Amino acid sequence: MSTTRTTGAALILTTGLVLLLETLSRGQSPARPGFDGAWAPFTGGRGANAALAPPPAGPLVLKAEYAKRYQAQRAADAEATKRGEPPPSAAVSCIPYGMPRMMSVASYPVEILQTPGQVTIITEAFSEVRRVYLNQPQLPIDDVPPGYYGHSVGRWENDTLIIDTVGIKESVPGYQNMPHSSQMRITERIRLVAPDVLHDQLTIEDPVVLEKPVTYTLAYRKLADYKMVEFVCENNREYIDEQGKVRLRLGGK
Amino acid sequence: MFRAGATIWRSLAVVAVIGVASPALGHHSFAMFDTGTQVTLAGVVTAFEWTNPHAYIEMDVPDGRGVKHWTIELGSTSILMRGGWKFNTLKRGDKVTAVVNPLRSGEPGSLLSRITLPDGRVLGNGGPPPATSTPPADTTKKP
Repeated sequence: MSTTRTTGAALILTTGLVLLLETLSRGQSPARPGFDGAWAPFTGGRGANAALAPPPAGPLVLKAEYAKRYQAQRAADAEATKRGEPPPSAAVSCIPYGMPRMMSVASYPVEILQTPGQVTIITEAFSEVRRVYLNQPQLPIDDVPPGYYGHSVGRWENDTLIIDTVGIKESVPGYQNMPHSSQMRITERIRLVAPDVLHDQLTIEDPVVLEKPVTYTLAYRKLADYKMVEFVCENNREYIDEQGKVRLRLGGK
Repeated sequence: MFRAGATIWRSLAVVAVIGVASPALGHHSFAMFDTGTQVTLAGVVTAFEWTNPHAYIEMDVPDGRGVKHWTIELGSTSILMRGGWKFNTLKRGDKVTAVVNPLRSGEPGSLLSRITLPDGRVLGNGGPPPATSTPPADTTKKP
């Protein structure tokens, strides 16, 4: 009888250990309270606590061979806008932003979901989705098929979620429309700076294009009971004409 | 038949305004619209498209010589909902008065500034960012 009880206890203990090891080996870690839910971009102002607003961005310094063309393009875009000719962009054609621009599209919220071994970020604008795999090694850049979201791995360092992203396609518009190479790497440090304010500090490295890494921070405020709105680009009336100008397709009766 | 040019504006109330706030729409630059000019369009809705990346109102506007057809671009459905719009706020046949920023090209297309609905309510082109969980001056915790 006593032997049976001992055997039973040992079996339960062993099963528990196996399950624990399995969980750890899958890279699962407990969800952090406060991160889940919808978040609206927050830039401070209007009497808000300035300390919760995002700090100023660091300088964007491109290597000389890229800087000249980049500045010329920025100037040309500004001139075109002044003339009433919005510069053509992928967004005009309803192509999603991808990383890192998807994290800050006007006032559209983002939603964060934590499940075992994964953090998922869904944006309202264009319904873009990022999947961050926790506690997994990052793949070599050359093994990641270039895409809009690349391959993201994450880990918790105390109360901060650190995400490493590589594999962003060169045609995906960069931060401030900067050019970037296939070697671009984005490191994010996401943490709560108040119970309802989240900061995402992004550092972009690109040994081909950037003279030094650029760092900027996005801030978000928690939305209470917000239901994300669907966004399917089904009726895009804007188009880029043969002259490269943005036009609006007008309706009839 | 539409003809580009100044004559198109003669029968319309064209009011120059200063410091028009750009709608927080986000899909693209709105430089193709003349946000320094407002045109009042009083007419009948022929279609209301509750779609993304933008909603659209199609309407027929009597201009003294006949009826001119206008297209009015609105924000995305998400941003319109924040401003009190619903998918069924308008329907074909509704009589409305819209104040719009016209296309710089002179074509009969425009960006909505505000609209008076058949029931007298006035709606703008979307609303502010969604309300957050706490007042913006929350200082309960230092960063």
